[in-house]
Formats: sequence, structure tokens, C-alpha cells
Amino acid sequence: MTSPAHSPAVSDNWVIPIPKWAYAVALVALTVTWLVLQENGIALGHAAETVHEFFHDGRHALGVPCH
Amino acid sequence: MPTNTDMPTYKGLLLRGVGAGAVSGLFAGLVGVLVVEAPIRAALAVEAARPTEAAGHEHGELFSRGTQVVGGVLAAVVVGIAVGALFATAYAGSRRWFTSKAPFVRAVTLSAAVFGAAALLPAVKYPANPPAVGDPDTVEYRTVLYLGLIAAGLLVAFGASYLASRLGHLSQPVRSTAVALAVVAAVVVLLVAFPATPDAVPADMPGSVLWDFRLASLAETATLWLGLGVGFGLLVDPAVRKVRQVSAV
Ligand SMILES: [Zn+2]
Repeated sequence: MTSPAHSPAVSDNWVIPIPKWAYAVALVALTVTWLVLQENGIALGHAAETVHEFFHDGRHALGVPCH
Repeated sequence: MPTNTDMPTYKGLLLRGVGAGAVSGLFAGLVGVLVVEAPIRAALAVEAARPTEAAGHEHGELFSRGTQVVGGVLAAVVVGIAVGALFATAYAGSRRWFTSKAPFVRAVTLSAAVFGAAALLPAVKYPANPPAVGDPDTVEYRTVLYLGLIAAGLLVAFGASYLASRLGHLSQPVRSTAVALAVVAAVVVLLVAFPATPDAVPADMPGSVLWDFRLASLAETATLWLGLGVGFGLLVDPAVRKVRQVSAV
């Protein structure tokens, strides 16, 4: 509690090691985004219409091309 | 003990990104219900007034309006969580991004840059359209244009941070001006180079409904991205906890 003013996070060589599984996380995140905002039947086939209609307001409101 | 959390790990950043994304997604979803829902309803009324069901998919067949409103909020939350995870990864990997600034400033600046590239830029070139406007035959082409412009915008943001790091020998005001001019030039080139949207707005769609919707949509994406940056910044900046400790002692 003597000198809490200096944070090691604020420095010029500020690097956080990114593990390999981070790429898997990024892939999952991109896939989820695509399923919610873009899926038109490529992956889910007929069920895509249900997904599409359920998230339909979100697709339009978030500015994604639709119809 | 607080020094332990000062040096963040990727896992810790990821959890904070997911948490901040869920909260900002919920806020964005509420903006959707309170602001975007009215012009959507007006656009659906225009669609319902058309003589034939010419549109590619019928609305309200599978789900009621109320369910679709809930789905709209849920879409914002799920997308918020997903982009929160991506944002945390980009934050962890952003070595050049305002390294001398506090984590909160870094997070908010990064989110503002991503909002500019992934939401504001496409909103200028390919503004959001309410239901009953898009042509189903061109949706794939429009999606390619939309995603291509976002990718190009993210490249510009990345290039700006790279350029700023290469101009370290210049004074701060000169460097900022040079980077800003380069960004403006790159954005103008993108806006001119990308082709116009292939669709014409149907004549029966009032301009007021169209633009109410477009501005409301921009309010929702702004809430999502800037909320993510502010929330993430509050969670990662050790200064937030330190102030609380000082005041508690
Ligand atoms: Zn639609």
C-alpha cells in the first residue's frame, strides 16, 4: 500500500501471451455471430428458417443485409 | 493482492470481454425494443399493405411479433457475447494501440475504432434497411459488399495504429494529424471504390420510416460497441478497484 500509483499494465512493452485455444474461441465467436446474423440455410438447412425468423428483428436492427 | 490482477491473463480478459459483451448486448437489445421497434412496425405495416406476398419470407408466420421482439433482444445479447470474446482477443493482441494510456482509455478507444469500421462505415455506404425494403435476389451480393467493407474498415483501423507506431519520431499533434488525414483519405477511397447498393428503395416506403429506422439502428450498434468498450474498460482497469480500496480505508 506504499506506492499503488504505478501500474505495470501501463508500459511500452505491454504484451499479453495469447494461448493457442484463443483461436478456437475466436472461431466459435465468429460462427455464433454468423449463425445469428447470416445463416440462410447453408449449415442448418430447413431449420435455418426458424433461426432466421426468430432473430429477424436483430438482423435488421444491427444493420445486417436481409431479405 | 491487487497487484495480482494488474497483469492480466488472456483468460481473465476473455471472461471480462464476454461479461461486458453480454451487458452491452442487453443494453443494445433494450435500445432495439424502445427505439428500433417502432420503425420496424411501421415498415411491416407498409409490407402488409402490399397486394401480393411477393417478399421472400413471410413475417409473423413462424413467430408472433412479441416473440420476434424477444428474439431481437436475444440476438443482440448473443452477438454482444461473441464480439466481446473477439474484442478481448484483439485487446490482448493490440501491442501498438495507445500503449502509454490507461487500460480504460485503451479499451474505449479500441471499441470506438471498431464501431467506426464495423458499424459506422457500413451505415454510411450501405445504410440499414427495415423489413419490406430489401430485394431477396440480391441479398448475397449485398452481404458480400457489407462484409467486404467491414473487413476493409478494420484494415484501415489496424493500418492507422501501425502508421502511428511508425511515426513515433514526430511530435504528438503532427503525428495525430498525419494519422487522421491518412484515415480520412483511406475512408474516402473505400466509399468511392465500393459499388453502390444494387437495390432501389420501394416507392411505397416513406422516407421518414426509412431514416427513422436507419438512425435507430445506428443507435443500437453504437450502444453495443461503445457499451462493450466502456464495460470492458471498467473491468480491466486496475485503477477502478484502487479508488474503491482507497475510499474504503
Ligand atoms: Zn428481413
